[in-house]
Amino acid sequence: MILLASSSQENLSRWEPAVSDYAPVFHSTSLNSVKKELVRIKPQILLLDYHLPILVGSDGISSLMKLNPETRVILLTPPLSDEIEWSLFRTGIRGCCRIDIEPKQLKYVVEAVQKGELWIRRALSGHLLSELVVITHEKNNMKQGISDLLENLTRREGEIATLVGNGESNKQIARRLDITERTVKAHLTEVFRKLEVADRLKLALMVKGSLTSAVPSRMAH
Amino acid sequence: MKTVTVAIADTNQARRTNLERSLQGEQDIEVLTNVLSKEVEASIERRADSGTDVTEIEDVVERIGRLKPRILFVNLDESTGGAALLEALYRAYPETLLVMLTDKSAKDADILHALASGARGCLDYETAPSYFLKAVRVLDRGEVWVTRRMLGKIMDKVLH
Repeated sequence: MILLASSSQENLSRWEPAVSDYAPVFHSTSLNSVKKELVRIKPQILLLDYHLPILVGSDGISSLMKLNPETRVILLTPPLSDEIEWSLFRTGIRGCCRIDIEPKQLKYVVEAVQKGELWIRRALSGHLLSELVVITHEKNNMKQGISDLLENLTRREGEIATLVGNGESNKQIARRLDITERTVKAHLTEVFRKLEVADRLKLALMVKGSLTSAVPSRMAH
Repeated sequence: MKTVTVAIADTNQARRTNLERSLQGEQDIEVLTNVLSKEVEASIERRADSGTDVTEIEDVVERIGRLKPRILFVNLDESTGGAALLEALYRAYPETLLVMLTDKSAKDADILHALASGARGCLDYETAPSYFLKAVRVLDRGEVWVTRRMLGKIMDKVLH
């Protein structure tokens, strides 16, 4: 199932042959209709005209994509600067090509995106890779930071922190370790202090190693 | 015309020669040889599968530092120290563009790891020789040499 969205009938009929293999093909000529169809037919692919009304900037597109996150969005755009195009990719679109693309070429793009590939200009692929390196570096630093902090815990504190990570309550922990609930609480106060966390949810996330960095990466804007 | 310097860190002589040959004959490409010292090669041959030796990695990194190639093809199997070598090279010389040489058995996760550690591309050394030349041109322009499928996976990783 595929959705073509543009206010221009001419565009729609030019794109149609490129996606005939993926019938049924639906058309939307307004933003409202796109929103409705995304929810109703849940298309695998959305070919979206960058010029569709109101759809300016990446905020518009990202809220549109939340309506059905499974839909892979290919944007058809006028020539854009690298920065704008990259910011569009950061919203989660899977492909971007010129609005006047040949139908034969567009068919190729749709096939690629359908397979999970990313249709991005070579000039932008460098941005993507740099971002991967930065993010990986941040994640590794964070993991290192967390494991450094965890090393400050005593054996008992570490045990209790792990059990909190498994979602156990103070009562369960007390029973399991054969100590009083008060002692568990006392240990936890010390754990919170050492790890600089405010509550047990954050502690659990930290122990599980899934606490994500609050620091936005350099290219996030 | 600016010359692009290219070096190949691969312990396999045949593969290295093959790659070197595919880049020769280009006026603006200079292939630097002897990236791995004889001692390193000899010790690698002696060593069975004892894992990564830190001094060997340091040795290779130091040699690369003297050659300072624009582009360096690195074979990442155990014989060269694998991913650890790549990370060390990227840290020491971020201006050298690293390309991972793989064979058909390379797993996506390994390639992703290499790219996250600073490699700018990944190339199957059994690929047609013309691709090596093309890769050099593309990388020299500041672009990457990665399949669209892999770009999709990288995007998934960046966004989630």
